[in-house]
Amino acid sequence: MCGIAGILYKGAAPDARVGRALIDMLDGCQHRGPDSTGFSLYREARPGHLRLRFIVGSGADAEVAIERVKAKLAEFQARIVEEEHLGSSYAALIKFDGDLQRLAFEMEHAAKLSSIGESLDIIKDLGGAHDVDKVYKIDKFRGSHGIGHVRLATESDVAPEATHPFWATGFADISIVHNGQITNYYKMRRRLEKQGYFFNTDNDSELIAVYLADKLKHGHTLKDALKTSIEDLDGTFSFLVSTKDEIGYAKDRLAAKPMVKYEDDDIIAIASEEVSLNRLFPGHALNTTEPAPGTFDTWQLSTSA
Amino acid sequence: MATIDLSLTPVRQANELLRKYGADGVDVEVLNPDARHHIGVGLTHPINVHVKGSAGYFCAGLTDGPRFIVDNNVGWGLGDNMLGGSIIVNGNASAIPGVAIRGAEIVVKGNIGSRAGQVMKAGTLLACGNANFMAGYMMYGGRLIILGQSGEKVGQDMTGGNIYVAGKLAEMGTDAMLTDLPAAELDDIRAFLDKYQIAFKGTFQKIVNAGKKLRYARNEPRRRAIPFFESFADNAYWNAKVQEDIHIKSQIGRYRIRGYGAARAMPHISDLAFRKDISIGAGSDPDVICKVHMKTEIGGRSGANPLKLSMPVMIAPMSYGALSKSAKLALAIASRLSGTSENTGEGGMSKEQRAEANQIIYQCLAGRLGWNIHDMRQANGLEIYISQGAKPGLGGQLMAKKVTPEIARIRGIPAGIDLRSPSRHPDVLGADDLVIKVEEFREATGYRIPVSVKLGAGRVRDDIKIAWKDGFDFVELDGMQGSTGAAGNEVLEFVGIPTLSAIQEARDALTEVGGLDMPIVLMGGIKDGIDTVKALALGAHAVAMGTSAIIAGGCIACLQCHVGTCVTGIATQDPEHEKRYNIPAEAQNIHHFLESVRWQIAAVTHALGYSDPHEVSRDDLVALTPEAAAITRLPYAPEYRERQPDLRKAS
Repeated sequence: MCGIAGILYKGAAPDARVGRALIDMLDGCQHRGPDSTGFSLYREARPGHLRLRFIVGSGADAEVAIERVKAKLAEFQARIVEEEHLGSSYAALIKFDGDLQRLAFEMEHAAKLSSIGESLDIIKDLGGAHDVDKVYKIDKFRGSHGIGHVRLATESDVAPEATHPFWATGFADISIVHNGQITNYYKMRRRLEKQGYFFNTDNDSELIAVYLADKLKHGHTLKDALKTSIEDLDGTFSFLVSTKDEIGYAKDRLAAKPMVKYEDDDIIAIASEEVSLNRLFPGHALNTTEPAPGTFDTWQLSTSA
Repeated sequence: MATIDLSLTPVRQANELLRKYGADGVDVEVLNPDARHHIGVGLTHPINVHVKGSAGYFCAGLTDGPRFIVDNNVGWGLGDNMLGGSIIVNGNASAIPGVAIRGAEIVVKGNIGSRAGQVMKAGTLLACGNANFMAGYMMYGGRLIILGQSGEKVGQDMTGGNIYVAGKLAEMGTDAMLTDLPAAELDDIRAFLDKYQIAFKGTFQKIVNAGKKLRYARNEPRRRAIPFFESFADNAYWNAKVQEDIHIKSQIGRYRIRGYGAARAMPHISDLAFRKDISIGAGSDPDVICKVHMKTEIGGRSGANPLKLSMPVMIAPMSYGALSKSAKLALAIASRLSGTSENTGEGGMSKEQRAEANQIIYQCLAGRLGWNIHDMRQANGLEIYISQGAKPGLGGQLMAKKVTPEIARIRGIPAGIDLRSPSRHPDVLGADDLVIKVEEFREATGYRIPVSVKLGAGRVRDDIKIAWKDGFDFVELDGMQGSTGAAGNEVLEFVGIPTLSAIQEARDALTEVGGLDMPIVLMGGIKDGIDTVKALALGAHAVAMGTSAIIAGGCIACLQCHVGTCVTGIATQDPEHEKRYNIPAEAQNIHHFLESVRWQIAAVTHALGYSDPHEVSRDDLVALTPEAAAITRLPYAPEYRERQPDLRKAS
């Protein structure tokens, strides 16, 4: 049970204040989820390099987890170019050109994997948008797009790893945020587990990420995957997805979870509530629309279209 | 004209100001609204309010009389439960505009979101643009006018009222049908459009309820009733009750409805015993009530005025509708005499009940039957019903015989239907929405009245954590031994978890999240002061009694509460039956019973060596059965069965 927000600056220059915008939007709907907050940010991609982030906790446990990660990376002959240990997470930029899905599978078993991507960096932790910003300096982040989430845990744990966004396992740079409840969660999860997918949490939203990953693996476009998700997933949901160069949404047929969208020549912004969108334009009434039940869409950065 | 700038003034303060301007008859302009929630909630004066921008959730909710204009869009629940007055929205409205309105006029110039006009009772909701999924869902009355497209499943499960669609009509919802549009109704619609200066010359298709689901096809044949306490007397497998069920189902071809709660044996509070032998100490001191501190405050954790109970016991929620007005009055009087609180249950608050009860909790259910801002303000506590122990996940049921014109008027529904109240709140589809709903109630009542939640025991561990996170002042937790006026027998017997498991899970969950500051009122089969002390020892702050209170007030437990011809005059709306009920005498009986509960609480507490029942703890308890031990993690001590044989038998 949550609030979601996403923004994409359509222009070419990747130096928009995405971090600031996401903090404002998520703070605007923090009442929907005070437990934890997360951001999917897209950093500059470096050819031949991957960004990995893990949730390692704190203290001695963190040191042990980091050592395990490093040992595993060494096995893959991946060289750590940069690293940081902030809050409850450990991030590394590695030089790697092997099989991503195999790396992902092994890394998931080494520690709690938050994200892998050439550009994607999922930062999530307990507390509100401002709390997470204080530790991870989200405010300073500039880029072209991103999505974020505030969470009120209802069935699974309050823990950094159960926080959104979720990474689409095995697929670099894809992440989702979700508001709602997937009622055929166990059925779908078992189906995907049989195909070898690994679930980090009992959070139903993780299922959406893995579901999309599976569709992409089988050659579907993101748009197609969103379309089938509306048929395959049961329950009430509104979710956002982001890739290296696009964002998209899908909304269930029951229209039980809110979603409001604002678009002009420069940006597309989507959030659970208009109050979040209005945070981007204080004092201005916006011309917004609500996506219809059972619909989906995607928007791309103009440079990569 | 006064001005309130929401970029400078928080909404809470702005609403206080709006009410003040309302009382002075001054119109108000609201600047920089920026889609903030709860603008204008709780306003009950006929002033003009101009919102210069977009408003968020529950704009003009819980109001009576004001005239709002919103320049741009609005969020969920526009004009929630508005009794009178008007709203004009120049942009779009999000989901459930006009939810539960009872007479207001609402005009949305743009499109309206899903479930528009859900459970509305009277008044007009107009969309100049398109409607969305399930417009008019479960509406009971009033009219919904749509100039654009209808959206899917228009009129889904509507009970009353009219829907007029000028644009494209999509697939209609269940139990809705098209009918002819009389010329006079078209003239009325045109007059309404003219009043709001909307140029539209087209015509409409009219949708009404098809009447296929309003009544059960066949009523249950009458038989000699097998009373509740004999239902499963000797054999829990094949017995007279099972035989009766099969006979009746063979005639009606559906599930049976009955009153009361789960009758089969299950682990309960009576499976616990006090570790210390109190059989000698208890009862020997005639002044024990003076020696034990029993006063209990509940509901003040976020600054509201708490309920002040003379002992940790409340009257459980039971509706005027399920019960007669006379029975509700007797309960109200008894609650006053014993210094405790009464609870309205689903059917709204009657004037007499309010006058007789010193403290009353006002219950808000999904159908918003009898719910309104004026009675909210008169209440001492508000309660959002999510579900109840007797039938978790289901709404109330009131069979046609009891839906008299008087009951229908209070509830705002058509008379003479088999009322199956909605099970889901229109505006609470998750914990996130619930936060915003609770805030609306607080805004409407100036943060002075405690807001609680009633939970039927199912997934208690998760639910109680959500209740704590959503900031409720207390929780009414209802186990599956809780009774009701009408429910399907299978649901009564087999859905939910026992009261004993419920309190244990709740306590564990609150310990996990550090939420023990949120009090729990435990109900569901609490029959006396001994149960009360045990419930407190397990972690409840107070208990509520329903079944035992009505038995004290004359109920014979025949299980026929739903039929409407209750011979004692308790569960009936038939004046012939009700006149048998002697209000002053039964009020005294209930009062006497509550005083016996008080004495038991005092005697047990004192005998255990404490001066306040809240000091009694788990350390004072043992479990008499392996099941109770497994549920509570209390030591299993079968040897106590010998010491307290009466306790086990009493269960």
